Amino acid sequence: MIQPLDNFITQYPALRPYVNWGVTVGSVLLCLLILPTRLPGMELAGISPNWLLIWVVAWSIKRTVWQGAIAGVVLGFLQDAMTAPFPTHALSLAIVGALTARLQKQRYVQEDFISVALIVFGMAVVAETVTALQFSFQGGRSLLEIWTYHQFVALSSAILSSLWAPVVYFPLNHWWESIEQSEPMG
Amino acid sequence: MFALRRWWDRYGIQITLTSLAVGTALLIRQTQGGVLLETYQWLTRPFQSKPNPQAQVANAQMLELQQRLIELESKNQRLEELLGFVQVKKGKGITAPVIGRSADHWWQQLSLGRGRRDGVEKESVVLSPGGVVGRVTAVTAHTSRVLLLSDPTSRVGVTISRSRTMGSMRGNSGNRGILEFYEKNPDVRRGDVVTSSALSGRFPSGLPIGRIESVDTTKSPAPEAIVELSAPVSYLEWAVIYPKSPEVAEPLAPASGSAPSPVPSPNVLDESSPSTP
Repeated sequence: MIQPLDNFITQYPALRPYVNWGVTVGSVLLCLLILPTRLPGMELAGISPNWLLIWVVAWSIKRTVWQGAIAGVVLGFLQDAMTAPFPTHALSLAIVGALTARLQKQRYVQEDFISVALIVFGMAVVAETVTALQFSFQGGRSLLEIWTYHQFVALSSAILSSLWAPVVYFPLNHWWESIEQSEPMG
Repeated sequence: MFALRRWWDRYGIQITLTSLAVGTALLIRQTQGGVLLETYQWLTRPFQSKPNPQAQVANAQMLELQQRLIELESKNQRLEELLGFVQVKKGKGITAPVIGRSADHWWQQLSLGRGRRDGVEKESVVLSPGGVVGRVTAVTAHTSRVLLLSDPTSRVGVTISRSRTMGSMRGNSGNRGILEFYEKNPDVRRGDVVTSSALSGRFPSGLPIGRIESVDTTKSPAPEAIVELSAPVSYLEWAVIYPKSPEVAEPLAPASGSAPSPVPSPNVLDESSPSTP
């Protein structure tokens, strides 16, 4: 799927930014539309991978803190739209985006596959913790129930998301890299 | 002016794109994801299953019938003491395929493949073979979002069918609910059938909800019980939506011509002696 697009933009370099944004927005849309499905093999005790979190990590890994945070806010609002607006998902995903951008992965870990899975694992725990904190401050649910449920959700979501992370990360990363290489200097 | 122009040349596209992205996301959030849900419904249409009640849910259906029977028997006994009982009419249901689950881990929701065009309204009650599933919280043209009974934010007034003990139940993820009793010493034991009560404003009374799994009478401030919900939510493929029409919402009212009170007809289901003769 990426190869024909690569060929297309080498043929029509003027359309490159539009194709790039199209691919980016399209991938977000794909992640959003796969959220409510529970495909066989993607589910652990009724919990599915957090696709938007994987997308935010993939986006932020080679970008600045602000770019990561804004992507988190945008995708968080979109997830709010799919579930319920309070407490907002924008906060947890923005924190995930900013933290991922701050990690400076290249300095510590070399292997992409392992490091992305590890980052997603950690970030899933961070995101669920932020949500649990928001629920705690919001009230309405009992604290004991929130934090017992948090343990279960954080662990299952972290395991599943980190396992499925390469599916989102590799094509997107490949695309953004090829776009960067084909970009004229300056 | 020139500096401003140069600044705009440098950052203009970035700022425009960023505000466009944030703005679109906010707009979609404000409209509760109507566009997204509609797209999802359209894309998953080829994969949606046709209603097939016989094959999978025979067992659940039997359970529902059993629970209804107990409920009706118990209710009948009470009603025999009263005169002028009006039969509750149930509106025609809309059968809808389940097209999606909740889009995050903290909300227990379902998406159904019928919407405003098919006559679904907000606050409609969703049933399945087995019992109550939840209520509709958002509707688009072809889809509707259901908040499940097992969500911690959904509360429902319930009755123990056998003893008419009342309480309120809140969801507790999975297919469990926690029932808080109003009395200190509730007459309840394991296996008792739980149905929605007449005091529940959101659900019509007498709908099967589940059965008692365990009772904790030492719990403070009120005794609690864990309810196993009887609707098979985890493998549900279709559900029936009942629009919240007055005759469905109105619980059993005595036909003595008394004005409908905010707490509907306590004289029918309360333990106290009836106030109307």
